[in-house]
Amino acid sequence: MHDKTVRRRRAVLVALVALSLILLTAYFGESPNGRLHDVQRGFLTVVSPIQEGANAALKPVRNLFGWFGNAIHAKHQLAEVRRQNARLRAQLLQHTNDELAYKQLLRLQHLDGGLHLADYRPVNAEVFSQSANLWYQTVNINQGSSAGVQVDDPVIDDEGVVGKVTAVASDGAQVSLITDSAVAVAAMINETRAPGMVYPKVGDPNTLVIKYLPANTSVVVGNYVVTSGTISAKGASLFPRGIPIGQVSYVGEEAPYKSVEIHPLANLRGLETVQVLTAVEGSAPARLAKVAAELPTQQSSEPGSTEAGSAGGGGQLASAGGGG
Amino acid sequence: MGAQPSGAVAARVAALAVVAVFLQTGVVSEVPIFGVAIDLTPLVVAFVGLECGSLAGAVAGFAIGLLVDLTLVQTLGLTSLIFTLIGYGAGRLRELRDPRAALTPLLVGGAAAALSMVGYSVMEIALGVDAPVSFELLRQIVVGVVLDTIVALPVWALVHRWLRPSLPEDPRRRRRRAYTTGGLSPLSKA
Repeated sequence: MHDKTVRRRRAVLVALVALSLILLTAYFGESPNGRLHDVQRGFLTVVSPIQEGANAALKPVRNLFGWFGNAIHAKHQLAEVRRQNARLRAQLLQHTNDELAYKQLLRLQHLDGGLHLADYRPVNAEVFSQSANLWYQTVNINQGSSAGVQVDDPVIDDEGVVGKVTAVASDGAQVSLITDSAVAVAAMINETRAPGMVYPKVGDPNTLVIKYLPANTSVVVGNYVVTSGTISAKGASLFPRGIPIGQVSYVGEEAPYKSVEIHPLANLRGLETVQVLTAVEGSAPARLAKVAAELPTQQSSEPGSTEAGSAGGGGQLASAGGGG
Repeated sequence: MGAQPSGAVAARVAALAVVAVFLQTGVVSEVPIFGVAIDLTPLVVAFVGLECGSLAGAVAGFAIGLLVDLTLVQTLGLTSLIFTLIGYGAGRLRELRDPRAALTPLLVGGAAAALSMVGYSVMEIALGVDAPVSFELLRQIVVGVVLDTIVALPVWALVHRWLRPSLPEDPRRRRRRAYTTGGLSPLSKA
């Protein structure tokens, strides 16, 4: 009896294990469209509605357990979200700093390539007297140091470049015009961006010349000449980039350089109102002015023979195109 | 000595199997704890064997395993093979040792869960399923075994309460009662 029970038990076990292995082998060996797979799909088709109904009925129970599970997870998720938040905040700050640094570099880049009007604080001034001497082209204005005017501040009007401040009093200042021998302006041909230095033509207050333009520079009569926004030597003025100076009136070929004459746009003999571009303390032009003050002195002694320190701009402050 | 499977027992085991599978797929599997869901089915199989004997345990294991494979569209025969062995083993433990300690369901449940998870992983790897053994797999097995062990006692209580009425009176239990109250005591025979 006992043996019979034992044999039956073992037989059933062997049969069930064998059946399982047969099912496993057959299922694993057949294609997805095989008979066993079909039986499985059929079973699923029958059971699915029942399962859906059971799931719907058990949903409150599931939600209750889910609530406990979520509560357990919440603390961990909160810590994770806080870590993520801190990481993102650090990234945001880094990006903001990078953006500010980028903008600053961009401004510096502009400064290197030339200053812009936005870098200055313009002070309007009226011309109350003008020099009649051909050797010294100066005017006096009614704004001085009390208004923030300083020596070497650029002066413009609505037409273009006028000159620079050469002497300052508390309520007045003297402006040397661009036709004065003491003034040299770093410039460029607007159409070709070819750089050069603008000097007054000796003896002709209505004419300026660009010197040291390479012979292969493309320039024609009618081209406009603008400030390049750089300085080449101590004493030169920090004009913002792109301020009109004049229009090319003559192009001469004097190897190895071209001789270009410019008619100034500003009505230098009939000035009434000008604008002094003052630099706010701490601004880019102010900082650049301090640096410019340390540049080597311009080597020019005689009117009419004004020579820039070096054609290549040995002391050029971050030139936009070299040469000068 | 195990209980002989009767019609009433078979019906109750069948109902238990269906409820366990639907409960598992509809509720329990969707509530993961520490990333692992509790698996009730190997516990139910083991406790059926522990309650009804090796034969009933093996048959119940095969049936529940097949039901799980069909419901979850898994490889047919894999779960039924593992559950057959679990049910048979739990039944044999009951037939040989008849453990009545309070911790027995806990230990049996833990062992059943471990055998189920490890056995399933081994079979899947043997069948060539691309599932490299990793720390994550090991973690899931360990956490799963721990969770199943924790719920083993309540599951055992439910299975025991459900199946007990349909099971015949245990002769060894009658002998123990007689031993304490008299009648079948070796001293009375003398």
